[in-house]
Amino acid sequence: MAIHKYDELGEQQMDVFREIGSIGNGNAVTALSGLLSEKISMEMPEVDILEFNQAQKKIGDPEKIVGAVLVELSGELSGIMMLILKERFIKQIVGKVLSGKIEDLLAMGEMEQSLLVEIGNIMLSAYVNALSSLTNIQINLSVPQMAVNMLGGILSLPMAMMGIESDKLMMISGRFFMNGEEMDNDILLLPDIKSLNTLLKKLGVE
Amino acid sequence: MQKKISVGIADMNLTRQEGVLITYALGSCIGISFYDPMIKLGALLHIMLPEKTNAMDSNILKYADSGIKETLRKVLAYGGSKNRMVCKIAGGAKMFEMGGASGLGNIGERNIIKVKQVLKAEGLRITGEDTGSNYARTMQLDVSTGQVTIRTAGRQERIL
Repeated sequence: MAIHKYDELGEQQMDVFREIGSIGNGNAVTALSGLLSEKISMEMPEVDILEFNQAQKKIGDPEKIVGAVLVELSGELSGIMMLILKERFIKQIVGKVLSGKIEDLLAMGEMEQSLLVEIGNIMLSAYVNALSSLTNIQINLSVPQMAVNMLGGILSLPMAMMGIESDKLMMISGRFFMNGEEMDNDILLLPDIKSLNTLLKKLGVE
Repeated sequence: MQKKISVGIADMNLTRQEGVLITYALGSCIGISFYDPMIKLGALLHIMLPEKTNAMDSNILKYADSGIKETLRKVLAYGGSKNRMVCKIAGGAKMFEMGGASGLGNIGERNIIKVKQVLKAEGLRITGEDTGSNYARTMQLDVSTGQVTIRTAGRQERIL
């Protein structure tokens, strides 16, 4: 039975998406760990179906400045993936990789910005590759785009995209930590409704 | 300190005499303030998309066209007058430089165009605007004075 709304997903189907999140995040975090030679761990991913305002609240204060790397997914699966990096994490990795210090995220230089894009690229590609081999579907990734600004503004893009067909977002999210310290980063997979059906069909849980 | 009334995404609120209507971190979305200075009636609308294309969609405040119409209907019901009404708009930023076939990259710009078109068609004046570029804006309307303030990260507050 095809899904027309995110709310129609049953418990068993939600479990499948949790599993997808778990495999995807695991691969993304392993890739990051290899890049930084740091111990990175992750929480069990969550799958949420939330109204826009609730989704924003869940991710954080809308006026908080964050870094975000975004890729558009196309092919058999379409939607958006986004890596949201919070201030503490950005400061730590810039310190570690570039031995630099940043006071203000908005005043980051080109070197720092390209480091974050690279991290995003590596993590998001690892996630998507895992998802693609698990489900045997072909997914194309756009060139990653980066923004540093208020969280609420950054989230307006995936919301506008999902807003065309729904008043809710389906968000497969995972938090990850560096050296056991909470960094409060988020990796989000936001598939559109058509792609949900593709995934469910491929995984045999229609 | 005046009472703050927050306006969510795809949401609208209105109040009279006093209070501050506020909507946070508008990215590609647009905040539209409506103010009738004579009776100190103000409304703030936060839209996400230009046009309501799905007739089944009951969330009319999500779109520029249906959202502005609904807000106007409420404001007029509360005794506001179109002739006295002043509108200000903020938002419509391009947060990410996206190429992509989905046309999402320019959603902010499409929102700006539509909002202006609908306001004009309704015979409403836009007396202040802070739109476009690549950063988010928090917009607030002080209903006791009609003053609209825009807050952005790393820049000075701007009065529209």
